[in-house]
Amino acid sequence: MEFVKKLHQSIHTNAALNAFYIEETFYTYQEFSDLINAIRFAIQQTIDEKEKMVGLVTNNDLQTYAAILALWFEGKTYVPVNPDLPKIRNQKIFELTDIKHIIDSSETTVFSNYRVIHSSTIASYNEDLSLKNIKENDLAYILFTSGTTGLPKGVPISFSNVNILVNAIDKEPDFNLVASDKCLQMFELTFDFSVVTYLFPLLAGSCIYTIAKDAIKYFYVYKLIKEQKLTVLTMVPSIINYLRPYFSEINAPDVRYCSFGGGALHADIAKEWSECLPNCKIFNYYGPTEYTVYSGFYPYHKDTNTKNHNGIIAIGKPQAGTQYIVVDENNQEVPTGVTGELCLGGGQVTPGYWKNPTKNKQSFFFKAYNEKKLRFYKTGDLVFKDEEGDFLYVGRSDFQVKIRGYRVELAEIEYHAKSKCEKKVNMVALDLKNKLGNAELGLAIESDKFDFSAVLEYMKTKIPDYMIPSHLAFVKEFPHSINGKIDRKKLKTHFDIN
Amino acid sequence: MNKEDIFKKIENALKTVLGHDNFQLSETTTAHDVDGWESVTHMMIISEIENNLNIKFKLMDLMNMNSVGDLVKIIESEL
Repeated sequence: MEFVKKLHQSIHTNAALNAFYIEETFYTYQEFSDLINAIRFAIQQTIDEKEKMVGLVTNNDLQTYAAILALWFEGKTYVPVNPDLPKIRNQKIFELTDIKHIIDSSETTVFSNYRVIHSSTIASYNEDLSLKNIKENDLAYILFTSGTTGLPKGVPISFSNVNILVNAIDKEPDFNLVASDKCLQMFELTFDFSVVTYLFPLLAGSCIYTIAKDAIKYFYVYKLIKEQKLTVLTMVPSIINYLRPYFSEINAPDVRYCSFGGGALHADIAKEWSECLPNCKIFNYYGPTEYTVYSGFYPYHKDTNTKNHNGIIAIGKPQAGTQYIVVDENNQEVPTGVTGELCLGGGQVTPGYWKNPTKNKQSFFFKAYNEKKLRFYKTGDLVFKDEEGDFLYVGRSDFQVKIRGYRVELAEIEYHAKSKCEKKVNMVALDLKNKLGNAELGLAIESDKFDFSAVLEYMKTKIPDYMIPSHLAFVKEFPHSINGKIDRKKLKTHFDIN
Repeated sequence: MNKEDIFKKIENALKTVLGHDNFQLSETTTAHDVDGWESVTHMMIISEIENNLNIKFKLMDLMNMNSVGDLVKIIESEL
């Protein structure tokens, strides 16, 4: 497998350089490599060649990153679990994947029912081990997200999926990491965005800066930018929402790339943020976990490239090897300019949800494309394509709700409310079920209570009255999921409509 | 405002945001010592103190704050 060979090579070529900065300590590629070899030796001694899936407890330490590469170099799959999540959920994940062995760097492991490789007390092993042969369909990792049925939903990603992602990003002329780059890695390793924030820097010999465990995340990110002079940032938009009150104090001329993903990037905050990064290229990436992190991006620029719909920055064009099609309810393509569901085709589509044939039937389909039969993933995101071939994000298909029989896009309501409101605060429109089971509109505003009547009056001049929220809730801080996305379900509990 | 008053203000902000008073503050207390005090609630606590005392912290100060003692010092410098 090409990218695994490249990783192996990069770790050796860059031995003298720093690979990680974790909890205020630098580690070189040589130290990283030694640890990978030690863990590989332990894997070879303990785990059968045929046993592919291995559990991984994701701590913020060198051992955990070394374990990922050790497993890959051994041709195995990592199944990460976050030690801060309930043990019962993590055990469910291990049950679903028939895990027998776990690699854990914690001082004391909570998973006593499994055979554990304790990576923090492992014996050193100084010989270099050769790479195992990896087949295309072998899995590189399985990530679990919350499923609607209450059972976690597994997304397996093959080595071939990752290889195709790496090739696509290599082909991108505007994004080239070099060994002197200092890259932010602020994601939990159970979140798919983390894959690009450790993989690309390691391939380039760059240094990866992680967030200290007990640090206040938002301020620590800024501290790293300022004191360590980071050059590459990869973040979810919610991070800059929290830093927004302090933007006037931020000036980071060393940052050359800033990639966003994992949520809608709003035009107003993108502009303000880009003023804090005077020498930076900003990429608005798009891509679901099911398509191996990234499928394409829009190159944002505050003066020249600000294409947006309802204030949400465009998601741009698909990357090399990826096809975007926009379809109606019957999976038939709709014309340019018409909104439909975005479907992704190409080599990065997951082999399918883990042991979930019902969901697989709903989410994947085959369709002829350029005379080839291609497998597509239905993203659940509504978009349209413009005349220039850029794709514009409209909203989640599950956020398109029916109010009094009319189809309403929740993002459009948020856009009009935000554009008039003088207080720059976050707002989320929600569909609330009343006693009769009908949907009514609510607007959650992230702020102390203030007079909102002028905004509502303005909205009445812009959108039909069925789109005017009939319920308001001022919420001091929006609830977020562990991945930094707004938890809409929890937000709905702030409304009392009956 | 003396140190005691500032401690009272911080205590109140914590109570409002975290919804409990199951803590004893001293200069060496850190977020780690108080139940529910993490990244997101920290941002709320900071904003609560800013609003109540009508002050605006500097990012540079917030970035280097490690304990309640540090927070008291920053508040003193802003008043």
